[in-house]
Amino acid sequence: MTAADTVANRAFLRAYGRAAHAPSAPLLTLMLINAGGAAAFALALTLVLTGKAALPALAGLVIALAVRALAGWAASRVASRHALRVKANLRREALSVLLGRSRGDAASIGEATGAVVDEIEAIDGYFSQFQPAALEARVGPLFIAVAVALASPISAAILLATLVPFAAIMALAGGAAAAEATRQFEALARLSGHFVDRVRALPVILAFQAEAAETARVSVAAEDVSNRTLGVLRIAFISTAALEFFAALAVAMVAVYCGFSLLGLLPFKVPEALDFRRALFALALAPEFYAPLRRLAGAYHEKQLGEAAAARLRPLLADGPPAPLTPIDLVGPQEVRLRNLGLRFGDLRIGPIDAVAPAGALTAIVGPTGSGKSSVLAAILGLTPLDSGSVDVGGLRLADTGGFAALAAWAGQAPAFLPGTITENLMAAGPAVTPAAALAMATRVGLAAALKRRDGGGDTVLDERGSGLSGGERRRLSLARALLKPAELLLLDEPTADLDAVAEAEIIALLRSVAGERTVIVATHSEALAAAADHVVRLA
Amino acid sequence: MTAPSPIGDFLARQVRQQRGDLVISALSGAATAAAATLLLGLSGWFLAGAALAGASGPVAVQAFNYLLPSAGLRGLAITRTAGRYGERLFGHRAAFRALAALRPALFAGLAAAPPQVSLTLSSGEASARLVQDVNAIETAFVRRSAPWAATAAAAAAVTVIALASVWAAVAFLAGLGLQVAGGRILADRLSRDPGREQLRASGRLKDGLGAYLLAAPELRCFDLMPRAIGALMAHDGELSRAGLAGRDAEALMALVQASVAAATVVAVAGLASTAALPFAALAVLATLAGLDGVTALLRAAQQQGGYDEAVARLDAVLVAPNPLPPPPLPPLASLKIDGRRFEPGTRLGITGPSGCGKTRTLEALVGLRAPPSGRFLVGATPLDSVPLGWARPLFAYAPQDARLVTGTVADNLRLAAPGADDAALWDALADAQLDARVRRLPEGLATWVGDGGEVLSGGERRRLSLARAYLRSAPWLLLDEPTEGLDRGTETELVAALDRRLSRTGQGVVIVSHRTTPITLCREFLDVTGRL
Repeated sequence: MTAADTVANRAFLRAYGRAAHAPSAPLLTLMLINAGGAAAFALALTLVLTGKAALPALAGLVIALAVRALAGWAASRVASRHALRVKANLRREALSVLLGRSRGDAASIGEATGAVVDEIEAIDGYFSQFQPAALEARVGPLFIAVAVALASPISAAILLATLVPFAAIMALAGGAAAAEATRQFEALARLSGHFVDRVRALPVILAFQAEAAETARVSVAAEDVSNRTLGVLRIAFISTAALEFFAALAVAMVAVYCGFSLLGLLPFKVPEALDFRRALFALALAPEFYAPLRRLAGAYHEKQLGEAAAARLRPLLADGPPAPLTPIDLVGPQEVRLRNLGLRFGDLRIGPIDAVAPAGALTAIVGPTGSGKSSVLAAILGLTPLDSGSVDVGGLRLADTGGFAALAAWAGQAPAFLPGTITENLMAAGPAVTPAAALAMATRVGLAAALKRRDGGGDTVLDERGSGLSGGERRRLSLARALLKPAELLLLDEPTADLDAVAEAEIIALLRSVAGERTVIVATHSEALAAAADHVVRLA
Repeated sequence: MTAPSPIGDFLARQVRQQRGDLVISALSGAATAAAATLLLGLSGWFLAGAALAGASGPVAVQAFNYLLPSAGLRGLAITRTAGRYGERLFGHRAAFRALAALRPALFAGLAAAPPQVSLTLSSGEASARLVQDVNAIETAFVRRSAPWAATAAAAAAVTVIALASVWAAVAFLAGLGLQVAGGRILADRLSRDPGREQLRASGRLKDGLGAYLLAAPELRCFDLMPRAIGALMAHDGELSRAGLAGRDAEALMALVQASVAAATVVAVAGLASTAALPFAALAVLATLAGLDGVTALLRAAQQQGGYDEAVARLDAVLVAPNPLPPPPLPPLASLKIDGRRFEPGTRLGITGPSGCGKTRTLEALVGLRAPPSGRFLVGATPLDSVPLGWARPLFAYAPQDARLVTGTVADNLRLAAPGADDAALWDALADAQLDARVRRLPEGLATWVGDGGEVLSGGERRRLSLARAYLRSAPWLLLDEPTEGLDRGTETELVAALDRRLSRTGQGVVIVSHRTTPITLCREFLDVTGRL
């Protein structure tokens, strides 16, 4: 990862953190309360020890500790709710980008779901743990120093003075240590990736009897990471040791200064007179001075996880969501004309295709699997980028309209639904669709028996995949939805696949009856459907 | 008697091998924790002693030995630093050495496990789970010194508290015991359910998203994008609630532990304050440091449940394979499927409608799924009577999903033929119609193909997978949809090259294809409709 990437990842996280109303003010207040609790605790402790455990002093101890515990509890709840808002914003944005893309293959779907679910989840700790710790590390020691200064300004000065060499060491060695820690994190992530890759490829590895060779390679990769990591561990833990050293030094120096001051043996004059109470107060607070920095070190892993996830999410969100659907001013069935249309997926080229789907006719696109039938239909919607040529509908060019989705209705090979009832899903076809019209259309596509068989009928609840319906029923439902939209253009991808001959004949008759009032284009393998079409386009 | 745990055995073995480093790490951790406790305790004692001496006049000050405590403070500060450094360094060294052995051992175990167990891991979800489990074990290994450090911190605290009051020491121990036991129980109660619900909710979100990603045209035509996003965000809400429940449970546990710690401090302060001031100060400050020193142990106790589950899941994957010695495999064997015998060199097309079991036929032959009883014979041996994978040396397989491994083009090809020279690789690429494309790649055969072959298109991945199968000198080629996603011209040339290759090598081939061109190579046909 280059320095520029790191900066960009942090800026990305910062921007999303801000947009989700970073709770800096409540967190700072709680940190102030926590520091106040620490001071009250130190005071009560001093009183307990010097006052032979008088009840008010013990009660003060209890209250101070309770306040600190509650402040910590409230701070973690506030921070985890902020993390939640960040994740929800990121997910909403990632979804609007991803769902607007054209049809993906299985690999890109796995990648997309991984990004939306796992990568965004990996960001949680960055906001719920690392950021509050980072905030506290900036202000916590100062709060404690102020409290110490109330009793012993010199002790406070000693604490603050230890920060100077600590900061200097962190500036000199901390950068190198952080760089090594990041490299180690990345090496481990790569090792993990290599391992998972080989596990996923197990079928192939087994089939080629390469399991011994691949085990050896996993072993070499693991040992390599291990050896390289061992070489840099000494550097990687410098910051840990420095933190520990200055935390210990702070306590020891305050103790020695206060002790010698109480003995009157200081070799120099100081402008303050200490008594035991003041000295013990300062000493009891001294360990709190470095505590926020130690907590920050504990949350360092969350920072690495968050930045790594940001690096993978940034390119995904760079595209931005698709333009909203713009209405197109065409009325009645329209002619669709493909001129020299070329599509391209990697090295797979489709076309050039020159074809016409006459207005108000049933046109079948036929051709072997992989010849681009579905892609041509998606291109009419503007979902597949054109490599060459043009798509015109009713004389309008695709390039000018950004796709003809506003004019079109679609029924595809893998229909998806909204969580809700069957009727609601049919009514989603358009704003003017009534429940009665929806049910009438369900009957028309041959779903009457299927609805009657179910207790809920049209109120049967579906999930996104339409679980509970058979493959044929899902297709009919998606066809009914397409027919319910008052669209000039009806695009159907394999409308008769998975259907037996009788059902196929029904659907063909239905499509014949709706052609005329609209232009119907079907992509199909079915000879029967192609034979019933007014016009056939053959793709090679 | 507990069930055998291969992972448990492995970890125990590693602990023995890394004993030196682990002991140093534990001792360093213990020294750090004890030093931290004593540092604060001694500071309190020193302050109180100094105050009493200072108040009693110059004679008492002269009599007060300040050199020893102040030297002690310096010594403890250095011990604490060196100890922490040593703990981290040696603990991580032991962990990295042990874990360098964990992944290969796990991989070898997975490869030897029955395919129905190990192959379920090739899905993204299950393999992601596997990575999390390995990480959980890693974390636990790094934290091995936690109990030692905590014990040292507690022992140091108890010793110095007892100087002030034995009852205060007892109160400290009781508070500590309550924290450790309570932390474990609370973690089990509070974190487990949200953790499981989180997994389920993320599954539902992935499933819904997968459905919508395949239906982009519908979402576009019916302007359903906002509602689809709303539907998915409802799953996000469930996932968030589960995650938040987990986080809140953690915050609650921290609150409970802070309360127990507070009660402990108050009890020690109350009980110790009857002692002389220096000892009372020593006891109270040692309590504070001692409680801080056991936090690592509390964290480890909270994570114990997750660690146990991870070990159990990995153990379940590493089932010991069947040790029966298989019969010798004939070097050149005929196949008998559904009672029909196919001699070596036969070109066989498997036909039948989608979903009838064509792919499963190839998978059963190559031993990636259990063969149905009596349907497949290699020579005279029924495949269901021998260990899965027995007949693998006979087959070179190009599966439907054309899975590549992360690595170079050559890495992928040499998976099938480890000793093949570059000329043989180019020859196979030429027959798969991919040589021109590979020549155009920036580094030819040494080009990195990325994660799962992502720099190649679907059709290119398929042809690389095909070239890989060509490279293996096995008597039978098994090709599943070899030309799917290729354009007509490429397909025709590829099939012609395959024809020439088969004539040259005398290999037999079993082809599954929806498309007609590859099937034209076949001389015999087998319809598997309704057989699997």
